[in-house]
Amino acid sequence: MNAQPLLEVQGLGKRFASRAGRDSSLWVIRDLSFSVADGEFLTIVGPSGSGKTTLLNMIAQIDVASGGEVHFQSESAPINDPKALNPGLSCRIGYVTQEDNLLPWRTTLQNVLFPLVVQGRLNDETRARAEMLIRTVGLAGFENHYPHELSGGMRKRASLIRTLVYDPPVILMDEPFGALDAQTRTVLQEDLLKLWNLGRKTIIFVTHDIGEAIALGDRTLVLTRAPARVAGEHKIDLPRPRNIHGLLTDPKFGELYQRIREQVQ
Amino acid sequence: MTTHDSALDLAQPSPVKWRQYAVTVGRIALAVLLLVAWKLGADRAGPIYVADPILVFDRIVTDTMSGELIRHIYVTLRLSAIGFAIGCFFGIVLPFLLRPLPRLTNAIEPYIMASVGIPKYALIPLFILWFGIDDAPKLWLVGLLVFYPVFIAIFAGIRNVDRRLINMARVLGASEAMISREVIWNSLQPLFFAALKIALPRAVSATIIGEFLVGNEGLGFMIEYSRQNFDTTGVFTGIVVATVLVLLINAVLVRIDHRLNAWRPTDRDMEL
Repeated sequence: MNAQPLLEVQGLGKRFASRAGRDSSLWVIRDLSFSVADGEFLTIVGPSGSGKTTLLNMIAQIDVASGGEVHFQSESAPINDPKALNPGLSCRIGYVTQEDNLLPWRTTLQNVLFPLVVQGRLNDETRARAEMLIRTVGLAGFENHYPHELSGGMRKRASLIRTLVYDPPVILMDEPFGALDAQTRTVLQEDLLKLWNLGRKTIIFVTHDIGEAIALGDRTLVLTRAPARVAGEHKIDLPRPRNIHGLLTDPKFGELYQRIREQVQ
Repeated sequence: MTTHDSALDLAQPSPVKWRQYAVTVGRIALAVLLLVAWKLGADRAGPIYVADPILVFDRIVTDTMSGELIRHIYVTLRLSAIGFAIGCFFGIVLPFLLRPLPRLTNAIEPYIMASVGIPKYALIPLFILWFGIDDAPKLWLVGLLVFYPVFIAIFAGIRNVDRRLINMARVLGASEAMISREVIWNSLQPLFFAALKIALPRAVSATIIGEFLVGNEGLGFMIEYSRQNFDTTGVFTGIVVATVLVLLINAVLVRIDHRLNAWRPTDRDMEL
């Protein structure tokens, strides 16, 4: 990458305190280093249990690192000091978690407006943006439904646009489409690419699905089993805009898939 | 519902509807059965021990007409409401104040839990000694009896809030005050209402018990005064009125609960 990295992770480590009956504490992540450029779509694949969620939690500063460094722009994240964490780095890092984490007592629209309300940024313009996003992802007509009245795919869309609505420059995504059926997933992946093309944000997208990592990303990192570190890095030089269905038959896709597959243990 | 509709329902009975219907019929039948049992029991035991339900009904009507009953009800409800408001206020505010202080919470938690075990009614003589014979000792009793269920529910509710929702709200830029107000307060609504269903009837019965011992007004006074005059019908009247009051309060509470917590996914036709 020739551009100045927006986010840099150096020698990052995380261990959880040892419990009674265990001799040593368990390192989930150790000596993990990578960087992300502004506007890049980085995908990260790794076996389950390789600390992918923990990694994102540390970047979003809802969990504290045990060692190493994380730099965002020119600020560094606190190490071993949970009290100094600044979750979401003052709304500059959005986080679409694995579970949708919608507030069950708020309707779809109220959930999408929630970040604007708490940031004191709800006005006609932002409200119009929220309504536009709701229409874009096909949730029109469900604005006044509660989360339990929506399907899994709809909840995912709602949680995705809840983050997009306040326009954070960086978005972390933790297997956001993991629990969905293949069809819905493809639709959502295409929606995501469309939305990304509109705004060109920096995205760090974690998944265990190699195909998804290739289809979406500019670059793919492969993580090892715990304690996680980088096993390999792959530039995805497939042309954009991409057509998810068309990609599968692209010989380049098959080649990349094969290379990454071999690295994922 | 028109007769035409009900005919359709009979032609294609949906099992859920039928069951609800059966429950309603069963409830009414049980009420009639209890009334009959009361009447038969009253006839056998004699008017000194068990009041005749018909006489009780007459008494309710005449005392209502004279305004006497309304006055007692007003006095009792007023005290219950004030005591409830005080107990509820501290029951809600204290756990929220303790939330940012986990070490202090840990230190005082066993003492709070131990104080739950103190029989509050046994404190009435002390309350009279300390606070006189006006409303104050009764308010202390009602306030304490309301405080504990509310405090415990809110305390447990705060502990059990989904961490992921709190983290999500933080990442989205919510302040701690907003998290308390939006995420925590809404999350613990079901527990809070469960506590209210215990606390509200308690407030009324605690007031009545307070009135047995202190004062010359209210339903409790009315019951005790009737007892001293061997007026069993008066005692029963007081009990029936108190029961109806509590049932009415609960019905209102269930309504509010349904209205406020419509977002909850479970369909709850249990209204206890």
